[in-house]
Amino acid sequence: MQASVRAQNLGIRFLFDARRRLLSPTLARLHRHVRTAWGLRGVDLTFEPGEAIALIGPTGSGKTTLLRVLARVLVPDEGTIDVRGRVGSLLAVQAGLLGYLTGRENALLLGVLYGLSRDQARAALPQIRELSGLADTFDLPVSSYSQGMMARLGFSVADSTDPELLLLDEVHEALDHDFRGVVAARAQEIRERGGVVVAAGHDHDALARLCDRAVRLEAGAVVADGPVDEIVAAYVG
Amino acid sequence: MLALARGDLLARYGRGPLRTVKWLLDPFFVVGVYLLLIVFVVHRSGPAPGLSLACAIVPFQLVMVTVINALQSVRTRGSILANMAFPRTLIPVASCVTESLGFASSLVLVVVMMAIYGVTPTVHVLWTPILVALTVLLAVAMAYPASLVGIWFPELYTFWISAIRTLFFLAPGLVALAQVHGSAATLLRINPLSGLFEGFRSALLYGQAPAAWQLLVPLAWAAGLLALFVPLYHREQPQFAKLASL
Repeated sequence: MQASVRAQNLGIRFLFDARRRLLSPTLARLHRHVRTAWGLRGVDLTFEPGEAIALIGPTGSGKTTLLRVLARVLVPDEGTIDVRGRVGSLLAVQAGLLGYLTGRENALLLGVLYGLSRDQARAALPQIRELSGLADTFDLPVSSYSQGMMARLGFSVADSTDPELLLLDEVHEALDHDFRGVVAARAQEIRERGGVVVAAGHDHDALARLCDRAVRLEAGAVVADGPVDEIVAAYVG
Repeated sequence: MLALARGDLLARYGRGPLRTVKWLLDPFFVVGVYLLLIVFVVHRSGPAPGLSLACAIVPFQLVMVTVINALQSVRTRGSILANMAFPRTLIPVASCVTESLGFASSLVLVVVMMAIYGVTPTVHVLWTPILVALTVLLAVAMAYPASLVGIWFPELYTFWISAIRTLFFLAPGLVALAQVHGSAATLLRINPLSGLFEGFRSALLYGQAPAAWQLLVPLAWAAGLLALFVPLYHREQPQFAKLASL
């Protein structure tokens, strides 16, 4: 397994009309007054196999946007990005879960959307139930879950796809102490096999335990990159 | 695509043995309302009014609910779109698959209506699979623009539903085309739904092969919509995570 990321002059742009409604580029051509806001701009980054990187910065600095680009959810509007490796992502506590489906049904749906065959996704269900620790609640609608239970389920589904690039966004905040240990152990396994882990959030202690490198973002740009302790210390002052 | 459709069906019909009953009864309730209107309120009976109406309502329901589902299809999947990459081109098709599975129960209604009115099936009933395929094709073709409109102009959701309903009333839905006279009968043929409605009536009510226009007009509309909107949808889909998840 060898995962890596190379971003050059990466930019993600958001377009708004006069009523501050988000527009696609096609619709923007039909509007006279279009406001542009850059979620990311001029980002150059390289993540090598075996690295674990913490993304830190204030709310709105571009952490989630960068993770979405790495997950191939957003396509660059400017610059290039080369992401290698199978992606497992937990970019929100809800992680794409649909409230009216049970944990089991969500796991099956997301497994297939991750690219597993239906049989593979079905075969992974006992492992997901076990890892998530949801026990009987695995067969209850997700709308009845707490934030922590959703995060457990989302992580367990992402993990079942054997990711080479693991992306976590503000997940630690929702997880209890025990499950943080599970996440840290899995992240370490991925790194040892040549994968990459990228985690964003505001719980800097948890991020420092998981990662050895940090990238600090401000207003969509990288302002610091280095050892996690140094970058966090400089950020929190 | 099937996984997405399965999720939609679970949301609509629920779980357990009662879901099959709900699935089977749905079209009866829908047609029942129109049947009461046409037979008892406006007194426009014609031959086998229940079957004539079913021949229009059944394909219309598939098209209409596919469009309604497609209008919301991207936004309702916003949390998935924001979390992971998957083939988004299939979202409108998944809307149609969901509704096609619901539509299958409507065919029971047609059989029941034929039995009630004593309409004996002829060899031309074999046109039914082709007409069903054409209905599905038109529904998929309309699902692509509906998905785009749903994400571009979410505030116009109810307007588009009304527009589709208007399309039904601008087609020979409540009364057969044979009961419409003058230039209106010619103009109604432009509507893609007219061909479908009359095609089902030809095969199941009149016992004859559908006329060429009944197949070609909906086919031309479907081909035109797909040619125009599939490339546009493909170009727009990288933007969905921005538009649907924020």
